[in-house]
Amino acid sequence: MGFGRKNTDTRGSAARYGDLGSPFVLRAIAVGYVGLMIALPILALSVRAFGDGLGSLWDSLRRPDALYSLELTVVMALAMVVVNVVMGTLTAWVLIRYRFPGQSLVNTLIDLPFAVPTVVTGLMLVILYGPQSAVGRFLSSNGVEVIYAKPGIVLALLFVTLPFVVRSVQPVLMGLDREMEEAAATLGANRWVVFRKVIVPSILPAVLTGAALSFSRAIGEFGSVVIVAGNIPMRTQVASVFIYGEIESDNPQGALGVSVALLAGSLLVLILLSLLQRIGRSRDA
Amino acid sequence: MARYEYDRGIVARSILATGVVLVSLIIGLSSCGGEKKGQGGSMVDRLVLAAYTVPKEAYEKEIIPAFQKEWQRKTGRQLVVEQSYEASGAQARAVAGGFEADVVALSLEGDVDKVTQAGLITHDWKANPSRGIITRSVVAIGYRAGNPKNIRDWQDLTRDDVEVIYPNPKTSGGAMWCVNAIYGAGLKTSEAARGKADSVQARELLKQVQRRVKVMDKSGRESVTTFERGIGDALVTYENELLLRKLQGREIPFVVPDATMLIENPAAVVDRNADKHGVRELAEAFVAFLHTDEAQRAFARYGFRPVSPQIAAEFEDAYPTPPLLFDIEYLGGWTKVRVGLYGPEGVWTQITYELARDQ
Repeated sequence: MGFGRKNTDTRGSAARYGDLGSPFVLRAIAVGYVGLMIALPILALSVRAFGDGLGSLWDSLRRPDALYSLELTVVMALAMVVVNVVMGTLTAWVLIRYRFPGQSLVNTLIDLPFAVPTVVTGLMLVILYGPQSAVGRFLSSNGVEVIYAKPGIVLALLFVTLPFVVRSVQPVLMGLDREMEEAAATLGANRWVVFRKVIVPSILPAVLTGAALSFSRAIGEFGSVVIVAGNIPMRTQVASVFIYGEIESDNPQGALGVSVALLAGSLLVLILLSLLQRIGRSRDA
Repeated sequence: MARYEYDRGIVARSILATGVVLVSLIIGLSSCGGEKKGQGGSMVDRLVLAAYTVPKEAYEKEIIPAFQKEWQRKTGRQLVVEQSYEASGAQARAVAGGFEADVVALSLEGDVDKVTQAGLITHDWKANPSRGIITRSVVAIGYRAGNPKNIRDWQDLTRDDVEVIYPNPKTSGGAMWCVNAIYGAGLKTSEAARGKADSVQARELLKQVQRRVKVMDKSGRESVTTFERGIGDALVTYENELLLRKLQGREIPFVVPDATMLIENPAAVVDRNADKHGVRELAEAFVAFLHTDEAQRAFARYGFRPVSPQIAAEFEDAYPTPPLLFDIEYLGGWTKVRVGLYGPEGVWTQITYELARDQ
């Protein structure tokens, strides 16, 4: 029933702005914009994908290299999400709760992955961990392969998704009522209990949001991964690179199955997230 | 209330301003496009060339300047050549999809066929002495300075201590030349030894080499870069690419195996676009120029093997013919190769599955 309430709110402020902000026009513009920019291209792909019937879509998905690329993509993205959730939350916590020299620099660095072209990300990783660098030589002489192997893929995904968890947790931590923590502490809770019972529940939705966004971003990542992964079919070829290969070898039909699977995966994660958040909100209320 | 009214003015005005800017941008951009297309009246002729990336240096530095001079001498008109360089397959798709190039120069026949299938090339572009081919090369194996792994032939690429780099035949039409070369070499050597081409042996050779492949880049050019970054012991690529590096002072030593693939690169006038732009004569003159001795010599200086027999004879010392050289017809032509090697049931595709299972 929140919908109705929001409605009256809009109308209230709109009245003050006069007809320019007529709620109907505004809503139509917003819906039309999202539809034009996002829903329409997805619809075009779906029409193409299902145009030849579900059978050929299924056939294109059933190929071993297609399935493998999807599996690899999801596993790599999940590995990234685990690291991102722990380290992103920790980073946000440190940035909010502590003061230290260079803090604002660190805070600025966090947004940098959004600005760096992903191809450059891949190149940076190859320069750092590739066989021409001291780090790369040290690692490979100890039997650790990073570039052109799976760790390289996770590193690339971590780089491009680093801002998501930090930036969604930060504002929540900032708004956290510290009196609650102090109250819990005076009631005898140790720091671990305070963390588990007070802090985690309040930041959990934000952490999940960050995790879901980074997962969705990661499964479609192409530019950086294609450079660091090695791209050997059934070994280091992720889904986006598989799709690219099929399109390049004039088999767009072969690419459609995996494309639709990626899209559906992303969509599912985002829907799950919004469901979880809705449950969380109704519990609060 | 007064304040809100003031705000409303700002909002309305900025919307108006944005609108004006957008509209003028759109008008400006579309009129630019119009200018590009228009030919008549001006003293400048325009030709749009869509090429693959490998011969870029040869076109930019020698072929196009020479043709511009020739055109000016013949017609008294200036010539601007708008050049686009892309991976061959991507370029073919772009032209087929509406990029209005007057001439295409691509890595393989199959890519020109894509443009033909889109209905854009209506003449028989192979109806000339060199069958539409303007440059040749062979598939070669690059190795590290001093050849520490002692790489001399395809068989050496199957060894456990050798890491191999070549591009992905799914993304790079040019990479198909490389994989074709390995498979074909298996056929050719067995044929030389026992009088009959043995497809089982060829398949095994390809599988054992593929097993040693460490990185498969999107394009041939990228594979060379990866190799230069210190990855891999052997690089399978085109001879001309390796010769170009030498020209640029970044030599990668290489060997041309006895049994290897003859690479043939075509060029053709795109009839529909040339007619639409009214530049048929110019486009045909350009493609004809690519076959002249002058252009063939320029290509040869940039590492390509000349097509014209006279010029090939001139450069014989630089480009000795490998004893077991074979061309695409030996493998049954492009149509057969595309399905037989790279299709879902193709040899290469199945090998990648098998290698994953074996691990």
